[in-house]
Amino acid sequence: MPPCDQTSRAALQWKTRVPPDLLAVRLVARQAREFITAHGWGELELSACELALVEACNNALHHIPEDARHLSMEVEVLCDADHVEIRVLDHTAGFEWPDKIELPADHSEGGRGLFLIASLMDRVVYFRNRDGNCMVMSRGRIASAPEDLEKIDQQRILQNAENELMIRDMLEELSSCYDSISTIFRYSSELVKNSRVSDFSHQLLNDLLQITAADWFVLRLKNGMRLVTAATSEGLEINTPLDLNRKEQLEESLELKAGLERQDHWFDQQKPLNPKDPLASWARQSQGFAHPLVFGEELIGTLTIGKSLTARPFTSAPQNVVHTFADFLAIQVVNARFQEEVINNRLVSRELEIAKNIQRSLLPKELPQMPGFSLAGFCESARQVGGDFYDVLRLSSHSVLLVIADVMGKGIPASMFAATLRILLRAMPELTSQPSALMTRVNHLLFAELSGVDMFITAALVYVNIRERRLVTASAGHCPVLIACADQPQVKALTPEGMPLGILPDTLFQEDIAELKPDSRVFLYTDGLADASNTNGESFGQNRLIQWLKSSVGIGQSAGQLKQQLIEELTRFQTGVSPMDDQTFLILAGEPSAAGQSS
Amino acid sequence: MKMVIDGKLMRITELKELGAANATLFRDQVRNSVPSGLKLIEIDLSRTSFIDSCGLGSLIALHKTMCARNGLVRLLNPTAPVQQILELTRMHRIFEIAKR
Repeated sequence: MPPCDQTSRAALQWKTRVPPDLLAVRLVARQAREFITAHGWGELELSACELALVEACNNALHHIPEDARHLSMEVEVLCDADHVEIRVLDHTAGFEWPDKIELPADHSEGGRGLFLIASLMDRVVYFRNRDGNCMVMSRGRIASAPEDLEKIDQQRILQNAENELMIRDMLEELSSCYDSISTIFRYSSELVKNSRVSDFSHQLLNDLLQITAADWFVLRLKNGMRLVTAATSEGLEINTPLDLNRKEQLEESLELKAGLERQDHWFDQQKPLNPKDPLASWARQSQGFAHPLVFGEELIGTLTIGKSLTARPFTSAPQNVVHTFADFLAIQVVNARFQEEVINNRLVSRELEIAKNIQRSLLPKELPQMPGFSLAGFCESARQVGGDFYDVLRLSSHSVLLVIADVMGKGIPASMFAATLRILLRAMPELTSQPSALMTRVNHLLFAELSGVDMFITAALVYVNIRERRLVTASAGHCPVLIACADQPQVKALTPEGMPLGILPDTLFQEDIAELKPDSRVFLYTDGLADASNTNGESFGQNRLIQWLKSSVGIGQSAGQLKQQLIEELTRFQTGVSPMDDQTFLILAGEPSAAGQSS
Repeated sequence: MKMVIDGKLMRITELKELGAANATLFRDQVRNSVPSGLKLIEIDLSRTSFIDSCGLGSLIALHKTMCARNGLVRLLNPTAPVQQILELTRMHRIFEIAKR
């Protein structure tokens, strides 16, 4: 065996033979540990020596040729209070001692043996010759005792020194835990005052840098299918979003990889960032890791922290602190988004309330009366308020203009257009007896505004003159105007040609002229009525309306009674279903007997 | 060593050593007992006084098995000497190491 390091005092020696067998190696390593323990070495140092010996022997076993399987190895341990030397002599072909011993790739299952030996011992020398090879591993104690103390005191002092080291490590971990917990509590209370997630996370993560001794951070949050930068440490500008759908870019971005694979990914000198990584341009001299922020099963974002390559690598203690902060942050982000949603929902319901109020104010409080004819109207808003309304303009004692309209759109904008249309119709008294001319004018005036917001209005206008017994109808793409009377077997459905308002600037509107009989029923409605559906998904339909109108002729009901009848029928039909659209209708009903009385 | 399966979780406890002499057996035993749908293996290292490079290799092999199933291996409460080795070999980069 070649000469080895001489210790300052007489070293005690222990020597044994080891059969070429893994279990035998473990047994000998335990015996060697016991031998070193007797010299008062500390727990971690003993474990280090035991492991180095096991790795050296296992390594030798690994290189043993078939014809040498019967040959034992020899293990020799020299130890005193300050120094230990372990020699392993084998009779194998041996191996080339590498120039540089590095850890293999993270996911490699082997190749850590020599790294462990080199890291756990202070000095390792490997000799090869024809008869065998010898690995000499030595290390000193963490702290040495003064020469003149009694052995028992030396042991105690050494034990204390090691305990102190362990306590220091534990304190370090405890203090980082305390720091993270107190920071989290502080921020929890601050979050109540400041609800902006970006400001909040900025402060929180700057504190994280302090606790973990890191230099920089990048926080990205998931927005749709992209990871967008939400906060970075001072002086960093990372604006390129990462696309979660572009899995082919996985190798290019560590953050994307951490996010999609839901696990930490590390970078350092050995495993540098891909040159195409958005972090690479300024993080070349850094080491660190990217961590996914997850809430339940959902990815919330990624947090990457880094520090200089020359600094001590991150251990599991700061890594755990980062995990704790990230979990906390993920909860806050989810919470902030939830709050935002609640506020938005409140805004939406407030808007719907305003829209409903506008719509209600558009409906006439009272309908004008004409001898021999009665009028009744109905408008029921759906959950999502649209822009339905009806109106009756009194033109003279014997003439009115019936109006029904449906603005295609929801909420306040639809109600606003309904209000505008109602005012425009009332502002042109010279045209009210000519529905097509009125429609043309109104379309002209509203076109720019409607087309600018991709909205349009369907409407029907019916000029009623009881003296001339005349009905003049114009329609802007609206549902048919239904007319029924006793001497006509069929209900007439008038659909004079005309595009909805807001589609074309110079569209023409046709007129349909019909005779008004003393018992005529004129019925205007919006598509929400015909489209009303029941629990089977069946529509109320225009035919049902026609049948109902036909059966109402000759019974002598007033418009108000007909309205009640239809509402009841409709309510029965759609029991258990909430209407999807506004339901509106307007009825003009001739009452021959009443006319007779009044005339 | 004790192995208990509870839904999507497998708990491994009372592992005294994880070294060259038992690492392959350990790896194969666990792998063969992993039911489909298992998402997490928790290995309690609070009684493990010794781990060597082969032991680490077997943990990495299990990690790979679980990754392929979108699962995870978590190491719990390692003893001081085992923690020292896990840190030294940067295993905290691969495994979640939790203290409870």
